[in-house]
Order: sequence, then structure tokens, then C-alpha cells
Amino acid sequence: MALTLPRDMGDMIERGFDRRLRLAVTGLSRAGKTAFLTSLVNQLRHAGLDARLDLMKTAREGRLLGAQRIEQSDLSIPSFPYDEAIEALSLSPPEWPRPTRGISELCLSIRYRTALPGRALIKAQRTLTLDLVDYPGEWLLDLPLLELDYPQWCERMTRLQGPARRAYAADWLSAVQKLAVDQSVDDRELAELAAGYAETLKRARAEGGFSYVQPGRFLLPGDLEGAPVLQFFPLPGITAEDRVRLSRLPAGSLYKTLERRFEHYKRHVVLPFYRDHFRRFDRQVVLVDVLSALNAGAEVFNDMRMTLGDLMKSFRFGGNGTLRRLFSPRIDRLLICATKADHVTPEQHPKLLALLEQLLDEPIKDLRYLDVPVKALSLASIRATETRTIERNGQRQPVLYGTPLDEPGDQPALIFPGEVPDRLPEEAFWHRQGFSFSAFRPLPHRDALPHIRMDAALDWLLGDKLR
Amino acid sequence: MNDRRSSSSDTRLRPPERFDATDEVPQHDPRPMLRFDPDTDSQPLDETLPDGVESALDRALARPRRRRWGLLVLVGGALAVGVAQSAMQLVDAWRLGEWLAGAWGALGVLGGGLLAGALGRELGKLRRLRRHSQLREALIDESPEPFALCDRLRRQMGLADDDPHWRAFTLAHQQHHSDAETRTLFAHHVLAPRDRKARGLITRMASESALMVAVSPSTLLDMGLIAWRNLYMIDRLARLYGLELGYASRLKLFRTVLANMAFAGTSEFIADAGMDMLSMNLLERLSARAAQGMGSGLLTARLGLRTIRLLRPLPFEENQAPRLADLRRELWTELKRLDRDGRATRDGDG
Repeated sequence: MALTLPRDMGDMIERGFDRRLRLAVTGLSRAGKTAFLTSLVNQLRHAGLDARLDLMKTAREGRLLGAQRIEQSDLSIPSFPYDEAIEALSLSPPEWPRPTRGISELCLSIRYRTALPGRALIKAQRTLTLDLVDYPGEWLLDLPLLELDYPQWCERMTRLQGPARRAYAADWLSAVQKLAVDQSVDDRELAELAAGYAETLKRARAEGGFSYVQPGRFLLPGDLEGAPVLQFFPLPGITAEDRVRLSRLPAGSLYKTLERRFEHYKRHVVLPFYRDHFRRFDRQVVLVDVLSALNAGAEVFNDMRMTLGDLMKSFRFGGNGTLRRLFSPRIDRLLICATKADHVTPEQHPKLLALLEQLLDEPIKDLRYLDVPVKALSLASIRATETRTIERNGQRQPVLYGTPLDEPGDQPALIFPGEVPDRLPEEAFWHRQGFSFSAFRPLPHRDALPHIRMDAALDWLLGDKLR
Repeated sequence: MNDRRSSSSDTRLRPPERFDATDEVPQHDPRPMLRFDPDTDSQPLDETLPDGVESALDRALARPRRRRWGLLVLVGGALAVGVAQSAMQLVDAWRLGEWLAGAWGALGVLGGGLLAGALGRELGKLRRLRRHSQLREALIDESPEPFALCDRLRRQMGLADDDPHWRAFTLAHQQHHSDAETRTLFAHHVLAPRDRKARGLITRMASESALMVAVSPSTLLDMGLIAWRNLYMIDRLARLYGLELGYASRLKLFRTVLANMAFAGTSEFIADAGMDMLSMNLLERLSARAAQGMGSGLLTARLGLRTIRLLRPLPFEENQAPRLADLRRELWTELKRLDRDGRATRDGDG
């Protein structure tokens, strides 16, 4: 298992010479993964021509020649729909590309001129092959399950239920509380209850904006739809101390059935998935939509903090020597981004960054301990607003000029979206004021997509390989 | 009250006094608790110490003053020996009627004059600079807005609004760029061309002084040449970056100049003495001279690098600062080129 052999010989040679990089992009749903990847490919395609990549050293020095899409190495993974995304952005009025639902991959070949004098003797133009992988962060949320047994999981799920979450689960809770752990079960009844549980998860995520939803496969079942392996749920009121008492129950009891399915789910759904897809990355990008979390309130914000903490525990970090690069690559560089930075005025960017760092304080401490280089950025993959200033009461007021999405008429407006706090405000603030950052329609574009700090992100992710 | 009266020079004795027992308690008691309205305006606690304490603290913490006796003795000694040498040469020339040697002696005296002039000017500048020493620091502190800071630096450097480098920077800069990002762009578009120029200048100056020191026959002339070329280089570099050096940095550089002079002087002296003592042949003498020149050239290059570090309005990024090792190679190439050119012209003549 520690030895994941590369797929083909060419791949292996490129990895050996450090000419191939696997870059993974993740984030919770609606964090801006599709926009990030679309913009990344777009910027590299337009590099050296009309892309504004001043903060990327290779581009600034005029050494970046451009990029081309080539066939991806793993043909069983869906391709990232780049053309569709650009089409949506080129509509009039432009629209946001449709979010991707599962894992997708895209392969780019980047050409550049080397600046190292010794290497230029052999060949001045060089190529870096970049595998881009995009997967929903929620899928990683199943990984902590591997360390839990069923009673522990039940206890954890019960503890997770805040007032807002309990409201979504009210119907299911009243149904499940009628059951006794030792009663024998009817498969149909169990399927109904499991569907009810999946429904509460879906509602908590869609309506409440919660991100810590377990098990993740309940939301996107794919070909496992209707299979008994997805028909289980946590029993409220069970704690880890009950384990011994419950283990004496007969095999056909409710508790035993649920436990069996839970274990099966762990072994046959979570583990292979992780092994196949998440163990071979060199660089990782984590996108976080801080503003939406602020909009949704303190409970969702804290929920997101827990989610991201758990999500980042599942990465394997460490330096990549030549041997390790070949056989068992690890993430040797990490980028965390607060996306949608164009939805606030530029002077708020430092605060946005501070808030992001507060959201990820625990993982950042771990990364620091492991000595993994990590950088936090506030960025907008595809800009939706322009910055202006207006004169108001004799003072200059920075504002955004853009078309808000959720308003009738679709007219452009001048908006000051409000200040971003540099730390999470106290309880009273949420009742008093709260946040309401509006969403904007993307700006129309002719050449490369307008962006904020995508160039800095590219410099951090690829800069050291493009020398 | 009590204390002040007794400490004053009042010699009158206090008459006995009787206090009522119900009088107010003396004022040495700890102050009772005070309660303020929470809405009262309050400022953060001022952490600066009272004046007297600060100066005492400063004095205690100040670096011990260290006289550089070694350096002074070397410079002074080399100067004295050089003057004596030139004077003796002149006297000998006069007595023996050797006009060529006399001319060399006169040249030595001229070198001494150059040296005295350069040092005098430098000392004058130092005195003037003492008054406004923290120029660069003030410049950085005053304008927190990064773009405004860059604009001030541009004006300091004497660049016009439509200078191509500045234009490239303004095109690259965007409103949302942070402090550090703006500085990176400024360093790339505006400072990097200057860095390249400065490097070229340093190499040229270093090779010049290497050649001059190698060729010149007298201690005094060596020292004069070094002082002249080094101080000239500092001024040229300062003009290139458009920033006047602060007092402290100028003093530091001046000390380095003195050290370089001391090296040139003593190495000349030692080489001379060594040649006589070891009765070297011509080739050995030549190589000893070349080594002496190369040493002076390297020291000049080092001074140049130090000057750039002090002068550059924004500090160098990691791994971006020019290193002495690179300059040494360039210096060597430059010397070889001079040698080759010289040979080519000689062959051409012949």
C-alpha cells in the first residue's frame, strides 16, 4: 500500500526528473473550485500574451511561454469541463460555470525558458507536465470514520447537533426515537429511515450551509443508490460506554445490523476510494469561502472550522526526495485561499486573510510542526467586480462596481459590501447585525479572465519548478 | 511637601507644631480604589519612559565606544612612511639629478594631495550629514501607502513620469496589491535595472583600482588612488539610487575606505620590503604586484556591495543580493580582458 506504482513508464521518467507535478484542488462545495481551475488553465493558456501574471516570477521575467492541454494519464476519471466553463463565462450576460459534482482531472503541458545557466546549455525551452485534480472536500470527510467504531460515531453525531441542525432533523429524530436497539428490524423500514437521515443531511447542507455532513456518500450516492451499504444512520443516545452492553445483543437486532453496515461502508467504500485517488498528490490547494460562512452565522462558521480541521488531517505531508517522488509522493507545499476576495473592497483583504488563518488555526499549527511550507492568500479566481471610490460626506469611500446576482433587474450597482471582521465576532453581534455579502455576476471578458492574485497562487504552486 | 522643604537650602529650623488627632491622615497611604464610568474615553497606556530615565538607560545600553587603534596606526603609519618615502625620493632626485625619479616623487606627493582632499571632503560631508541622519528611515516611515512610497522613491531617483521602467511598474501594479507585492514589483521593474548598472560600476571600479595599485610604485600613491576611487564609487552609487546616505552608514563606509587604504599602503610596503629581502627576480616581483592589485580590487568590490546594501531603498530579497563570489569572477574576466586588449594593441603596433 505504501508502494503506489506510477501508471506508465513515461510518467515515471518524468517524475524522476521532476518534470511532472500533481496538483490537487479541493474545497467544500461552492467554495469556488470550478472557477479556480477554469481560471488557472485560462491564465496559463494566455500567459505571455494578455494574462496579467505580474506576481508570478516566471511570467514577470518573460520566461513563461504558455500551456497546452494534453491527454490525462488516468482515463477513468472524468475530464474537467473547461470548455463548458469558458462558454458559460462568455455568455451575455456572463454566467458562473456549473459546479462540478465529483472528482475530475485535467492535464496541462507548460512550456518555459529556463533561467539556470547550466541547463540552458542542453535545451533552453523546458516542459512541465501538470496534472490538475479537482475533488469535493466533503469526500475527505469520510476519512475520520476510519478511526471510529459505530458507538463512537453515534456519540459524535449526537454531540454535533446544534439548535439549527436539530431543526432540520426534527422529523427523522422523532421517527428514530421510537425504535429500540434490541428489536429485530424490517429492511424496508430501515431503508426509509436511512433515506430520512440522508434527507436531513441534504437539507442541512443546502439550506443551512453546514459542511460537516457524515457519511459523505449519502449526498452523492452514485451507483450505490439503494444498496444496503448506504442504509444506516447514527442512533441518538448511544455513547462509547455502551459498547460492551450492546455487543451482547443478537445478530439480527437493530444495533447489530447498523453496526455491520457501518463497518462495511468503512471498509469497502471509504478505504478503496482514498487509496485510489488521494494518495498521490505533490501540491494541494484548499479553497475556503469565508464570506458565505460569515453570511450563514456563527454555528455554520464553527462547523466549517471543524470540517476543515478534519479535512486537512487527511493529507499526507512531507518532503519529496527522488525516491519518494517516484513511489509514494507526499504533499510538499500547501496553499490555502480565501476565495471571492473581489466581493469585498481591497482594504478588507488583510482582514479576510486574518479570518482565514483563524478558521484554520489548528491545522496551521500542525503544518508548522511538520515544517510543511504553507501560504495563505486572499484571491478571486474570476473577478466579478471592479473597485471604485466615491466621495461621501467629504470622505473617500471605496466601493465595488458589479452586477449583484440575487436582485431583480440585473442592473449594475455601486456597493460597499461591509467590513470583514479580523476575528469571529461575539454572540451578540450576530443578533444585532450579522453579515450579508452579496454575490455578483462575473465580469464580461474578452482576453484572459480577470482575477485577483491568481498569479501569486501560481507562483507559490509552480514557481520553484519553473526555474 | 515635607521632603521638598527639607531638601531645599532653607536653613531655618522648623518650629514645633501640634496636630489635631482628628486632622486628615498623612498622605503616604496607598490610594484607595477609584471607579470610573466604563464609557469614559481612555487611551492605551503610554509606554515611553520619562526623559531622565531614558537617557540613563540609553547610556547604559549604548555600545561601548571602541577606538580603532589598529586601523588608525596602520593608516597613519602608512601615510607617514609614504610621505617620508616620497620626500626622500625627491631629495635624492634633486641631489643626483634623476629627473624621472623626481617626477615619480612628485606624482607621489600629488597622490597624497588627492588623498588629503578626498578625506577632507568626506569629513565635511559627514559633519553635515550628522544633522539629518535618519533620512531613509523617515522616508519609509512617512508614507504607509505602498504606491505613494514607490512614487516618492521614483522622484528621489530622478526618474520622469514616462520613464519606461516606471511605466512598466505602473502597468503591472494593481489596486488590490498588498504592501509586499507592490515592493516586489517595484524591485523588479525599477530597482533591478539599477542593480545591474551598480554591479557593472562596481566591477569597473574594482578592476580599475586593481590595475592602478598593481602599477603604481609608491605607498602614498596607492593609498591616494584607493581613497579617490573608493569615495568616487560611493558617490556614483548614491547618485544611481538617488538616495543620500545616512550619517551612520556613511561613517561605516568611510571606515571601510580607511581599511582598504591601510591594506593598499601596508601591502605595498610589505611587498617592497619582501622583494628586497628575498631578492626576487623580475617575474616574481611582477606577480607580487599583481596579487597586491587583485587584493585591492576585491576589497573595493566588497565596499561596493556594502554600499549597495546600505543604499538600496528596499532591502534585497532572499538570494537576490549580489555576492562577492560572482563579482570576483567578473573582476577576473575584466582583468583578463584588459590584458588581452593590451596585448592585442601591442601586437597591432608591432
